Amino acid sequence: MFFHMVLERNMQLHPRYFGPHLQEKLKSKLVKDVEGTCSGKHGFVVAVTKVDNIGKGLIREGTGFVTFPVKYQCVVFRPFRGEILEAVVTLVNKMGFFAEAGPVNIFVSNHLIPDDMEFQSGDAPNYTTSDGSVKIQKDSEVRLKIIGVRVDAAEIVNSDAGLAGKKCFDHTFARNEHNLDNCPVEK
Amino acid sequence: MNCEVALILDKKYEQLQNISDDPLSQTSQVFEKSLQYVKRFSRYKNSETVKQVREYPSFQTVLSRNRLAEFELCVLGNLCPETVEEAIAMVPTIKTKGRFEDDDAIEKMLHDLSLIKKFE
Repeated sequence: MFFHMVLERNMQLHPRYFGPHLQEKLKSKLVKDVEGTCSGKHGFVVAVTKVDNIGKGLIREGTGFVTFPVKYQCVVFRPFRGEILEAVVTLVNKMGFFAEAGPVNIFVSNHLIPDDMEFQSGDAPNYTTSDGSVKIQKDSEVRLKIIGVRVDAAEIVNSDAGLAGKKCFDHTFARNEHNLDNCPVEK
Repeated sequence: MNCEVALILDKKYEQLQNISDDPLSQTSQVFEKSLQYVKRFSRYKNSETVKQVREYPSFQTVLSRNRLAEFELCVLGNLCPETVEEAIAMVPTIKTKGRFEDDDAIEKMLHDLSLIKKFE
């Protein structure tokens, strides 16, 4: 889920920027530094929306760098265990399928795909129900429940997820048929 | 809610477009992916409707009386469940005692929300 929150950060600024546009420089450096980063606590920082307050700088001895405490508002994306969200399928194989919800990669193992769905290999690998009414393939939209979240060294959150409970799942099916390539998604 | 994020990110994207010719090179991959995602999955199209959903009377009373947390509201707004069962499966906490009198009350809420969407 996305959140709008206030965060704080200590920014180090090189002495060469001390001058008339110090504040602007500090803001652009903040945006450059934090946007796109990911932490276990807050998740992905998607966008900085506003800089609230820039505190008094402190000169560090020896280097000449100045540290400014900066308070800013930003949009973050953080998946939670148990959360139900929608995602777009990116890759299907016999182990399960991968999906993407914004910046987050999600893997759904075939153990968590209902038993009545069979894997079909071929040009466009997919999972299909026995009556063929529902297909999970690349670019399908699925609704799933997060069952675990991991932040790895490459700073990409991997979430293992199961398709959301039976009741939601029926609904997943309904939406699933709307493949984005074929028809506009109902909104 | 996803649709609110879409509004914020879209505005930011526009600003970047004004500054440089190639805005995508300025933004991170995370930003790009998030923008695509929220655009694909936002249920409400304009800020007026979003406001209406947020200010939906029973949300407000429930928010104040029974502390329906903001994230519960967001899940309902993002996923737009159609039946009571579905809503409970998505947000199990809405059936906690005292939130809604009975299933009918939940159903009424879902119905009202779908009306807001229909008339946007």
